[in-house]
Amino acid sequence: MRTPKARPTLRSVIGRGHLILALVAVTLASVSLTLLGVLALRVYAEHNLHLIARSINYTVEAAVVFNDSAAATEALSLIASTEEVAQAEVFDASGKLLAQWVRPETGMLSQVELALAHALLEQPISQPILHQGQTVGSIHVVGHGGSLLRFLLSGLAGIVICTALSAWVALYLARRLLQGITKPLQSLAAVAHAARSERDFDRRVPPAQIAELDSLGSDFNALLGEMEAWQSHLQSENETLAHQASHDSLTGLPNRAYFEGRLIRALRSAAKVNERVAVLFLDSDRFKDINDNFGHAAGDAVLVAVAERVRAQLREDDLVARLGGDEFAVLLAPLHKAEDAQRIADKIIASMDTPIRVPGNTEVLTSLSIGIAIYPDHGATPGTLLNAADAAMYQAKRLSQGGQQTADSEPTAANVIHRS
Amino acid sequence: MNVAVSPTERSLSWRRMLLVALLCVLAPRAFAQAPGPADQRAQAVTQVVLGILSYARWPVEPAQLRLCIVGPTQYTDDLVKGTTQATGRPVVVQRLLADHPDIVSACDAVYIGKLSADERSRLFTSLIGHPVLSISEGGDQCTVGSLFCLRVGDEQVSFEVNLDSVARSGVRIHPSVLQLSRRRAPAS
Repeated sequence: MRTPKARPTLRSVIGRGHLILALVAVTLASVSLTLLGVLALRVYAEHNLHLIARSINYTVEAAVVFNDSAAATEALSLIASTEEVAQAEVFDASGKLLAQWVRPETGMLSQVELALAHALLEQPISQPILHQGQTVGSIHVVGHGGSLLRFLLSGLAGIVICTALSAWVALYLARRLLQGITKPLQSLAAVAHAARSERDFDRRVPPAQIAELDSLGSDFNALLGEMEAWQSHLQSENETLAHQASHDSLTGLPNRAYFEGRLIRALRSAAKVNERVAVLFLDSDRFKDINDNFGHAAGDAVLVAVAERVRAQLREDDLVARLGGDEFAVLLAPLHKAEDAQRIADKIIASMDTPIRVPGNTEVLTSLSIGIAIYPDHGATPGTLLNAADAAMYQAKRLSQGGQQTADSEPTAANVIHRS
Repeated sequence: MNVAVSPTERSLSWRRMLLVALLCVLAPRAFAQAPGPADQRAQAVTQVVLGILSYARWPVEPAQLRLCIVGPTQYTDDLVKGTTQATGRPVVVQRLLADHPDIVSACDAVYIGKLSADERSRLFTSLIGHPVLSISEGGDQCTVGSLFCLRVGDEQVSFEVNLDSVARSGVRIHPSVLQLSRRRAPAS
């Protein structure tokens, strides 16, 4: 069973990269420096050992010539004890040991030093003691790697300290770099998320320090701007379409469907609070004549003028709609008294007294016949109310053109005439 | 070794035979027990004497180093054979009497055995002002005249230096030898 490996975060990738780089650099530098240092130190240590041997040589020469073991031992220890020597021996010409000096053991460290010296130096060093050009004895010197060990230890400490320091610096730089990268990315992600989930196209990605991220951010911002424009365009398009679907393009008034929708809602709320609603059915009396005599442009002008005038007589909340042709409907909600509806109808009829200016530099006069139906008196549904108002309008038209008529209290079946 | 000194050689060998006979009579025990130690001492004395000679510098370096043995000595059996220094200079050894008139001109170095106080003082008086290196076999008389005094012990042969005499004699001694003797002086 292999579990899918979790994706590493940018932070860990950058941090690890920096760390590895720093560690590799430090390790390579320190190891090479230490190696070079050890090589150089080895040369110097051997040279030093030879010098020590030579100075011992000069010092013990007379003692060897006179075969004086005590003097040789004394001279040997005098020099060897202050130098990096582990063991020094003086032999006479026949190879007999004349003097010896051995560094006293001082614990673990001296053993390590000895081992180090044995590993690194060519020992023991042997030098003949010459007197008047002839070999009178020899010296054997074994060095101890005290300074080598110190160098290696300090090198090791240096490596450790440098490693720790550079690791810290690497992590610090990685964090700084990360801030430069992740901050813009995070804000980009936040803006993208807001745009996707909340359709919030107003937000913009702030400028970033890093050029690539900044250009990404600005491109993203431009994209957001385009999307915002596209969105608002779509929205306005939608609104236009919705308006067109519910309104009459000539007069700008709501159409029949819209009116019926509003009527349904008005009736529903009126039923809840026990209010009254009036539906006025308006029909132009001489529209056909105007159309025939002055042309369709004049008819359109008359319709627009009628719509404006009717609208002007109504309260803000009332609704006037063009149901089709020269028929209009008015919804008065709420209605306090039946007389209010009749008064408004009178005002509407009176507003038609002024002649209407039509194209062709002429003026025409029109009149309206209005039928009034009141909920709940003349019907409880939109259909019955409209029918009642329609019937009342026809009645008014029959009685006198340019008048109004309220529907009968009990609408008869004969009155119910459907109009398309 | 040298034709010129062969008569001396001969008298030397006669004395040596006498000495050997004397030793055989006086110390048969020592000889019977350990013939080694005496030889060893003689060898050690030879080594020390030759060492001193090798560290000495005369105002005029002689082509061959003439070492005279004066008075009866104990440890010169090995020394009298003569030798050659490491530098290649031969060391010619001859025995002379203490009152030999020509000691100063015939010797570059004298090895002084047991002498009476008179003989010693006469010898040293004749040596005054001449670059002759003197080595006394007996250490007890070192305070007077002699440049070096040997102290012959069982373990090793050591020596003392009379710095005043060294300064007066005109023979230069290498400092390391002086140092060796000075270090040794309080010990012995």
